Amino acid sequence: MNLTGCRPPSSIWPRLAGLGPAVALLALTLALVGWGVVGAGAMAADDGDPGLVRFVGFKPNQPEVWEEIYRLFAREHPGLRVEPVVGPHSSTALHDLLTQKLKNRSPEVDAFLMDVIWPPEFASAGWARPLDDLFTADDRRDLLPGPLLANTWRGRLYGAPLYLDAGLLYYRRDLLARHGLAPPSTWDELVAQAQTIAAAEAAQGRLMAGYSGQFKQYEGLVCDVLEFVYGAGGWVLDESGRCGLGQPASLAALEFLRRRLIGPVAPRGVLTYQEPESLALFVQGQAVFLRSWPYAWSIINDPDRSRVAGRAGLCPLPALAGGRSVAVLGGWQVGVSAFSRRPRAALAWVRFLASPRVQKILALRAGWAPVRRSLYADPDLARQRPYLGQMLPVFASARPRPQSPLYPALSHVMQRFFHRALAEPDSDLAALATRACRQVQAHAALAQEAGQ
Amino acid sequence: MSLAARDQRLAWGMLTPSLAVVAAFAFYPILSSVWLSLHRVVLGLPGLGRGWVGLDNYRLLLGDPAFGEALRNTLVFVALSTSLEVLLGLVMALLLNRAFRGRGLVRAALLVPWALPTVVASQMWRFLFNDRYGLVNYLLYGGALGHYQAWLAEPGWALAALVLADVWKTSAFAALLILAGLQAIPDQLYEAARVDGAGPWRRFTLITWPLLRPALLLALLFRTMDALRVFDLVFVMTQGGPGGTTDVLMFHGYQKMFAEGFLGQGAAVSVVVFLCALGLGLVYLRVLGRGALGEGRA
Repeated sequence: MNLTGCRPPSSIWPRLAGLGPAVALLALTLALVGWGVVGAGAMAADDGDPGLVRFVGFKPNQPEVWEEIYRLFAREHPGLRVEPVVGPHSSTALHDLLTQKLKNRSPEVDAFLMDVIWPPEFASAGWARPLDDLFTADDRRDLLPGPLLANTWRGRLYGAPLYLDAGLLYYRRDLLARHGLAPPSTWDELVAQAQTIAAAEAAQGRLMAGYSGQFKQYEGLVCDVLEFVYGAGGWVLDESGRCGLGQPASLAALEFLRRRLIGPVAPRGVLTYQEPESLALFVQGQAVFLRSWPYAWSIINDPDRSRVAGRAGLCPLPALAGGRSVAVLGGWQVGVSAFSRRPRAALAWVRFLASPRVQKILALRAGWAPVRRSLYADPDLARQRPYLGQMLPVFASARPRPQSPLYPALSHVMQRFFHRALAEPDSDLAALATRACRQVQAHAALAQEAGQ
Repeated sequence: MSLAARDQRLAWGMLTPSLAVVAAFAFYPILSSVWLSLHRVVLGLPGLGRGWVGLDNYRLLLGDPAFGEALRNTLVFVALSTSLEVLLGLVMALLLNRAFRGRGLVRAALLVPWALPTVVASQMWRFLFNDRYGLVNYLLYGGALGHYQAWLAEPGWALAALVLADVWKTSAFAALLILAGLQAIPDQLYEAARVDGAGPWRRFTLITWPLLRPALLLALLFRTMDALRVFDLVFVMTQGGPGGTTDVLMFHGYQKMFAEGFLGQGAAVSVVVFLCALGLGLVYLRVLGRGALGEGRA
């Protein structure tokens, strides 16, 4: 023990005073952090208004339509109010944002838009509230089978379908007519027609792409390629857990895509295109055919945004030789957060959105394909949006992507596989498929282990 | 208590707040990442629980060819971009170190790419490399649209495009660091060398190079760490395409963690990035740092 070193305690304080700035900085930091936490808490605890519904969605293409819907809801539901929270337009980016909030059990989300591939994940993770009570038996009979199935997980309904998407083929009616051609019903026909027309245009000094679509490494690629794979009789994962990506039918579909379509008919640039780029090529009059969703029709026929307004046609996607025409199912649903503190208000909002009346507004004003069969018989719809009714068989038979709580991981496996196969036409397709299947099956095994 | 002991205590007292801040904001997140990486946590499958799995996540990564590709792409990106940036930075710094009219303006102008948010710069490069209206194609092929290339769709070219964008953006930063080092070299040394009859090359090898090493080391270290964590360029320009040939570690980890919900595996990826950075940093200090930092002691 060092007795000589005994100091009166007071002697340390003048020295500690030198810490002043550091302590002040620390205190300031803690205060700021604390303020942030309290602030967030205060925001979350904003329960003073039990009629407030925070609705997370993407930035709409037609904000005025949504304004109308919000107004209508507020008028008919006194005391309830919807506060839109605008998320990113990309499905993947919105998914990442939304799942972050739900993972943290954020009470700032009451209701949200869901892409057609999310319900199993949201249900399995316990983020979405079951909505079985929202739909009567009659409602369920009225709903088209694809969206109903997509929102069902282990026998319960977790999303209220809002509208439906399916792959469609857009073509230049004027150019086909000039060459005396009818819209193609097989891909071989499409290739031949596209090459004939592109060659004729090139002779006139105009560069024309035969085909445009979404083939960047992202979710849209999965939709576009699965239409070929499904159409040829291939599959991703069947009920018995067998991966079908390496099946001869699936490989043949990919071979067709990479040998005969991308490169010879579609420019290699489609490997970097999402929806807007692929559509831009078509509306600028630089593509004969386009694969896109129903929303494209309004834009193609809007003279302010398109050079081919009134000169385009619409039909189901072609079939591969010996195969069928298959459209992949897309579309959006509304879900209610399991952590919402105002579930009654949120449920009222979702019930309102899922009603035939709102569906009709969205169909007429925004051109979104309804999920209720009865609406396709509506005279207003038949008059103002005749193409929706004409495409009903496509909508009613659209095939879903695999249903799994691990869908985002499955999608990444498929994206890497498909994009590698297309971007490197000489890569060993069977080996790539084996590799992808190993990962698909590992994910399926994991889901099984979790009892899902 | 001796004076030294008292000083020691005071030193600790003064260090404590900053140590606490470092512990809370640097060590805690790192340790919690490591901890998370030893568990199996899958958001979409709460039924799996949050079990301890030891090194399983790392084993899974090693067995995953996509991770191997991301690791390889990252290392190629780091090697190419860092070496080009430091080399270009050195050339730029040597030029800027000379006195000429408008030097201040040129120095400021050089920093513009660096000051631009990476997301904006990435978007710009994505447009430049576009297959239909990209400036790169126009410069190469003029109006001959038929020859236009889809650069970001070609494996190999896409990674090269990312490197080019990064070099464009950050060479100036390396130049600035190196310039600071150049200006710290006293002019008398050069004057003395000139008196002794040394030519420009000898002056560079005998004076500039050895005295510039600390600055070069710093530039290399900064650029390497940054390049290892490349994310925004990939996110905006390619999303890992074509076929995963521009997938990099941070993007891979982001996808695992935020999109797929594999929190344990995502944490394992970030630990791997951390270890790579640490390892490379130590190698630099060993190889270049001899005598550069803390004269004679390193």
